[in-house]
Amino acid sequence: MIERLGLSPAATPMENEAALWLVLVLPLLLGVLGAIARPSRTWPVAVAGLLPLLALGWLSSQVAGTTGKSGVVELGDLVLYWRVNGLTLLLLLLTYLIGLASALYAPAYLRDDVQALTWGQAWFWPLLGLLISSLALIWLAADLLSLYIGLELMGLTAVGLMLLPGKVEALVAGLRYLLLALVGSLAFLLGISLMLGAWGRLDLAGLAEVAEPGVLLWVAVGLLTGGLMLKAAAFPLHVWLVPVHAWAWIPVSAIHAGLVIKASFFIALQLWLLLVPEATVAAWMIGGLAGAAVVWGGVKAWRSAKLKEVVAWSTVSQLGYLLLAFPLLIGTDAAVADLAWQGTWLQLAAHGLAKAAMFLAAGNLILATGAARVEGLAGASRRFPLSLLSFGMAAISVVGLPPSMGFTAKWLLLHAALSGGHWAWMMVLAVGTLLSAAYVFRLFHYSFIEDAPEAEFRRVPWPMETVALLLALAALLLGLAAEWPLTLLRGAGDEP
Amino acid sequence: MPPFDELLLAVVLLLLAAATLFDRHLVRACCWFVTFALAVALSWAWLGLVWLALLELVLGAVLTGAFLFHALGVMPTATQPRGLLTHWHDPVALPWQRVLMRLFPALAVLAMLGLALMEVSSGSGSLRPAGMGLLGLGLWAFALHHHLLRRLLSFNVIGTGIFLILMSLVDSRALAVAHGLVVTGLAVALLGTALGALLIRRLEALEASHHVVYRTNGRPT
Repeated sequence: MIERLGLSPAATPMENEAALWLVLVLPLLLGVLGAIARPSRTWPVAVAGLLPLLALGWLSSQVAGTTGKSGVVELGDLVLYWRVNGLTLLLLLLTYLIGLASALYAPAYLRDDVQALTWGQAWFWPLLGLLISSLALIWLAADLLSLYIGLELMGLTAVGLMLLPGKVEALVAGLRYLLLALVGSLAFLLGISLMLGAWGRLDLAGLAEVAEPGVLLWVAVGLLTGGLMLKAAAFPLHVWLVPVHAWAWIPVSAIHAGLVIKASFFIALQLWLLLVPEATVAAWMIGGLAGAAVVWGGVKAWRSAKLKEVVAWSTVSQLGYLLLAFPLLIGTDAAVADLAWQGTWLQLAAHGLAKAAMFLAAGNLILATGAARVEGLAGASRRFPLSLLSFGMAAISVVGLPPSMGFTAKWLLLHAALSGGHWAWMMVLAVGTLLSAAYVFRLFHYSFIEDAPEAEFRRVPWPMETVALLLALAALLLGLAAEWPLTLLRGAGDEP
Repeated sequence: MPPFDELLLAVVLLLLAAATLFDRHLVRACCWFVTFALAVALSWAWLGLVWLALLELVLGAVLTGAFLFHALGVMPTATQPRGLLTHWHDPVALPWQRVLMRLFPALAVLAMLGLALMEVSSGSGSLRPAGMGLLGLGLWAFALHHHLLRRLLSFNVIGTGIFLILMSLVDSRALAVAHGLVVTGLAVALLGTALGALLIRRLEALEASHHVVYRTNGRPT
């Protein structure tokens, strides 16, 4: 697993680190620029948003053909570690795409849907840039100190973004989120402190070598996992997620559900694979929580009254699939782990794209109907078919129907569970699919009601429609091109 | 047997933390907190960690203290707290059922930590017991209180406890990394407190304009 995560000594240092710094810092710089310029049109954002993608292209051209690159940054006595491999590149690309979609959606949204509150609009851009930069730091970092910095930056920025609407409900939900995020960060810090005290180092590759199983390792990993699961809204610790999303701005919700909670999951999985690769029983316990998350999230999504709550509960449910990675990757044989490895990251990418698209499309529907409740969708199919089409295509990927990326990912996970003989996890996948189909079709049931009373409808600006449609198309059609991310993942060190 | 002055410092830290967390008078509790942060800065300086002492002084005592008083609405010009937190003595009922339910995780964390620390080779002096004590006090207060400002105070105390444990655990090789961790932790504590304080003020302003009472425990009353 060390090779797959790009942490083996085989990874060579990079000649020119400029691309790396550009990938890290460019989103933040553009965010600051956005605060100064306050774009009210879409095209300047589109032009500026291409720059990080170009930087990423430069970085991947330097990594191409190798199993990955790694290196250190020295600040006096302090040494920080980083690495780039296929998985990192895939996650960076996903981050930039979803971030760009949020940024493109924002100008029209802030102009049309959000009234007044200029200070909030000014803060949106730098916070979005900082959020994307901190996510990039999390994907690249290879020691616990950098991960801690990235995690805290991301958490506080996310809280700030959630507070921007300035409404009482948003503030009260944000307050709860802030407190839970702070508790999570304390647990994380305590876990790191124990590891540093016991083994005197924090780089992941080194820790994987020197860490010895024992009470201390278990307590440290337990604290780290607890803190991360709180931030990832994993099953019993998910209560903060839905109220926060119910009041946040649409582009913020999209990037939060698509990426932010996955960053915590990514760190937790990485730590488990490196530090406690044989902890089968504990991994099965997480698998149990995953099953509960899938079922409970699905049922709550089915029963929710508001459109955004349906989407938010569906996030809780879909996160359960990702948590299945723990029992499928830890303590299983190589063939199962191989399938589960590909399935997990593909599911992360598929859900990121689909959930972001779903939030954006839901935002369009809410703007058009002016109603936040599910019943408000009545007659939507006739009046704004385009928004409904985007929502539907994203929903296909969330449910996991072919040819979507979600289907490919679930197929790989199912295959892994089948070849490992894990019937329980297969049941979880099957029940989850049925439940997600149930809540999606409930929404469509309302939108195809024909005898709805004529109400006032607002026209959705075309950039908002286009961004949602493109993102949903990506989630749907990338299932056909899934071979490309899979090669990227396999290239991450199976054959040296 | 640890030296007497170190023991004294640990006891002073614990007493100040207890005063911060359990004083029913909010403004006085914030004053206690600033004193506590000064004592922490003093103990870093006493341990020879001058940079940490300076940072604790600026970030912990001055800036965090300023944000706490801002949340209370106490200014140099207006010493009477206004609005949301006019209850100088905030009433906290102690429903024992909830206390037990919330205290259980806190106690579990403490027990786990104690087990883990027994594994590590014995470190220096009374720093570690002091850290454990602060952690215990902070967790207790966090579990008990519903009030946002009190939770922010206990969050800061828990953070300090973790820093003390961390510095008592590391040896000289890992000192740079430990410094990095503590600096990041201090910055996070400050930003968290600042966000919380600004939120309290914003809720207060909204409450004044809507004539509804949104208590800081998140439920409109």
